[in-house]
Amino acid sequence: MLSGPATEWIGLAARLGLAVVWGWAGLAKVADPAEAAQAVRAYEILPESLVKPVGYGLPFLELALALLLLIGLGTRLVAAVSALLLLTFIAGIASAWARGISIDCGCFGGGGAIDASKTEYFQEILRDSGFLLLALWLVFRPRTKFSVDSWLAAA
Amino acid sequence: MSDKNREGKRTARERMLQQRAADEARGRRKKQLIVGAVAIAVIAAAVVTGVIVQNERSTPETPTATPTGTIGEKNLVIPSGAADAPSVLTVYEDPRCPACGSFEQSFVQTVNELQDAGKLSVNYHIVSFIDRSLGGKGSKYGANALACAQDAGKFRAYHDVLYKNQPPETADTYGDKAALIDLAKQVPGLDTPAFRACVNDNTYGDWVSAVQQDFDKSGFKSTPTLTLNGTPIYPKKGDEQISPENLVKWVDEANQGKKLGTTGSPAAQAPSAAATP
Repeated sequence: MLSGPATEWIGLAARLGLAVVWGWAGLAKVADPAEAAQAVRAYEILPESLVKPVGYGLPFLELALALLLLIGLGTRLVAAVSALLLLTFIAGIASAWARGISIDCGCFGGGGAIDASKTEYFQEILRDSGFLLLALWLVFRPRTKFSVDSWLAAA
Repeated sequence: MSDKNREGKRTARERMLQQRAADEARGRRKKQLIVGAVAIAVIAAAVVTGVIVQNERSTPETPTATPTGTIGEKNLVIPSGAADAPSVLTVYEDPRCPACGSFEQSFVQTVNELQDAGKLSVNYHIVSFIDRSLGGKGSKYGANALACAQDAGKFRAYHDVLYKNQPPETADTYGDKAALIDLAKQVPGLDTPAFRACVNDNTYGDWVSAVQQDFDKSGFKSTPTLTLNGTPIYPKKGDEQISPENLVKWVDEANQGKKLGTTGSPAAQAPSAAATP
């Protein structure tokens, strides 16, 4: 596996960057459970019985990923879960776009139906794709500076 | 000594090195498995905790405290006008929604006249989702203040005042309780200690949230949403554009051959036992 000191510094930046993204996304969705549930419902993908569990659980999943990335524990696994989650989000947004429904992605709080003129599907997908690149980097280069992983490996 | 012996020594050393490498690899794999298991445990614990905590924190869909005279299965609807009027206009409005403001501006007089003539009763669903996208508290506090006005028997007058003085959507004026109390002065007899306390304590906050959750599930996506006797009429009824004239026409058409409602003072409260539409 290619891993020089430079790669580990890049990895640190990717890890912390993704941690900030998940932390921000999670915190923005925690305050109002009804709002988080409505953001999920607005996609019109999940059945009503799953709307609340997903709306309630997702922000905490994001916060857990943020915490693990911050300390660098299980980086490769956490990055893989992150990539999977981001792919799900991108698919959800693309699906809403394709079906012609007008919603805010609710990625960083908010969400729900909005005016058709205010949709930003392309920007949302582009942004999530950027985050996906960070996650993929860490899947393939999981060794990063100042991580619990590297500390454990040396122990 | 023979070459054979030397070879034997080398293979022994190689075997030892191989063994050590294998041990190290096994150790590494074991470590990785433990780390992976810990990470998955952290994620799973967080999600389970989240679902439980948020479930605990979310306000109930059936509120315990509801404004006086509200109707419907969960008492989420504020009725206005004669309860026995032959036609029912159902209105979903957010106090901060600009489209609701312009609807009110053009239709308030017509809707009030139809109510006063006993032709129409109006069921108001005061929703509060603009706060979600724009931030602030104006939708929620405004809706609560309207519930407080309903308690005082002055919903319609205060509702009209709030829309007449509606700030731009992005200005969260109604998030300021003092501004809401100030506007109550325009409704004779509304600015009482009880009303002030109700606004300041956000007494019907849970009710406001329940009304919004009901709207979330309704499938309606924007405000104002208007139905006349169950038929959507905003922005169009069939091919006909809504206008004050058309609204009167539609109501008269629907009321043909029916007895008009008991007209009284516009502030008359519909009894809470009134049938839901």
